[in-house]
Amino acid sequence: MNTTRLIATRLIAIVLLIIVVGLPMAAGTYWVGLVTQIFIFGLLALAVDLLLGHAGLFSLCHAAFFAVAAYTTSILQVRYGVSTQWAVPAGLLAGTSLGLLFGLSVRTRGVYFILVTMAMGYIIWGVGYRWSAFTGGDSGITNVPAPMVSGFQISTAEQFYYVVLAVLLVVLALYQKLVRSPFGLVLRGIKSGEPRMRSLGFNPARHLYVAFVISAFMASLAGVLYVYHNRFINPVAASLHVNMEAVLMAIVGGSGTLLGPFIGAALVLGLRNWVSSFFEFHLAVMGLVFIAVVIWAPGGVIGLLRRYSSGKEK
Amino acid sequence: MDSFILQTLNGISYAALLFLLASGFTLTFGLMRIVNMAHGAYYLIGGYVGLTVAKATGNFALALLAGGVTATLLGYLADKFLIKRAGENHLAQVLITVGLAYVVGDVALKIWGGDALKLPIPIVMRGVVELPGGIVYPVFRFFLMSVGVAVALLLWIMYRKTQIGAAIRAGVDDREMVGATGIHVDRLFLIVSGLASFLAGFSGVLGGAFLTVYPGAEWEILVFALVVVIIGGLGSLGGAMIGALIVGLLDAYGRWLLPEMSYFVLFGPMAILLLFRPRGLFGAENMT
Repeated sequence: MNTTRLIATRLIAIVLLIIVVGLPMAAGTYWVGLVTQIFIFGLLALAVDLLLGHAGLFSLCHAAFFAVAAYTTSILQVRYGVSTQWAVPAGLLAGTSLGLLFGLSVRTRGVYFILVTMAMGYIIWGVGYRWSAFTGGDSGITNVPAPMVSGFQISTAEQFYYVVLAVLLVVLALYQKLVRSPFGLVLRGIKSGEPRMRSLGFNPARHLYVAFVISAFMASLAGVLYVYHNRFINPVAASLHVNMEAVLMAIVGGSGTLLGPFIGAALVLGLRNWVSSFFEFHLAVMGLVFIAVVIWAPGGVIGLLRRYSSGKEK
Repeated sequence: MDSFILQTLNGISYAALLFLLASGFTLTFGLMRIVNMAHGAYYLIGGYVGLTVAKATGNFALALLAGGVTATLLGYLADKFLIKRAGENHLAQVLITVGLAYVVGDVALKIWGGDALKLPIPIVMRGVVELPGGIVYPVFRFFLMSVGVAVALLLWIMYRKTQIGAAIRAGVDDREMVGATGIHVDRLFLIVSGLASFLAGFSGVLGGAFLTVYPGAEWEILVFALVVVIIGGLGSLGGAMIGALIVGLLDAYGRWLLPEMSYFVLFGPMAILLLFRPRGLFGAENMT
């Protein structure tokens, strides 16, 4: 049974790869743009899920890393004319440095962690909103140019799609390696029983801190890609709602899995695009999805699939 | 000096409002271990219902009551049909209550629209008080402060001097033991949760008259109330009082002295405090 499942998984992976590589040739710009967005937010959801699904920490400040990276890159490009190859690392550095600082929150656990990260996220939102001389306030940073790397401008939606896809594949490969490494095992050990890990001689706080910073880096990466995709950034990107949406994506798809956050991103963004075409109150619809998922499908889509397939095996 | 006194008064007014919201949050968490992110939504709905009642009847006391009762009803239904399903899982609690808050927020947007609305202040409270030194300050804000102090006193007496209070305190420390001594824990939950949502709706009415009520107000005030709870320590009523004063004053001084960085002024000290005391000023060991 196990080998058939392995072959099936590989087959699905290959089919998926062919679909995502071939998509721009078959679909129009609208779909390419939507899928790019799904990739970017899926990456943010994956960042959130490294902590949530593996370490059991529910962070509400990842939109802050996302936004700080996006702001840094776009301000450098737009206002100071810094080139893409310097603006991008600077954005990643800014977001990750904030992660080094906010990562101190791993001293707290449970509800305190949730509330503390939420409050920290609000600092960034507040700065983006109130420090308008630097951040542009409510209207944010506009007219972000297309990224240009060593003389080559990535201008069309299709080109940018492939850039995002390439970044994503690298991140996914590294992520998979990370969560399967002893480090990932320790994280899951902390999630299921921190005192036991401590008595085994591990230092949970140190592991959680490292995981926190890695996940802040991933969120920053998503932020940089986002600002080049969207060509615009405002304080909304740092808001609690963006963070909650990323959490929702991870849960809807299947927390603790590699592709779950992306399935979730596709479902959430697809649903939102579809609903907002005929119904203006999409936040209420999102709210209902939150409630429905927690009550009926806490394992997300992948959880449902697993339940279904293991039911068949019996 | 005058502006210092003025800002201090502003800070205390805001602290009174925050305390009303934070006390309920901290008690429900302390007793039931429920993180209720819909607390802000109760505040919002209380504010809007209070607004409608105040405009229709011109009676502010009735508005306060209506806002509180509506929020209590909403809180009761939420507890009974939704929050209970999350069990002790904080992640599920947060997702469900955030979802609920989104739904309530959008329904309110549909009914009351997107503008900031000000609850009419009763005529007797519309004037100003002249303080020694020539500072004038609105009567309504003194009313707000008095309400905050009165509620704090009542809660304190209930918490420290009554049978129910003793049961709640015991429940915060060790729920199973309280159940084992024959105290009706479910009824205790009902009382505390009802009280918390009533206070949230009640504070929404006061907040509507003090700060106006608008879409998104529920999240802004919730974050401040949560900071109060974090600083004070989860489950501690005294912590909520001290925390509210700290947050109210820091916010007022921050807005006055460093308007662009006021969020730093507020959250920075909180972050530093937590590095040394991860459970806040008065948080108990068993609260996570």
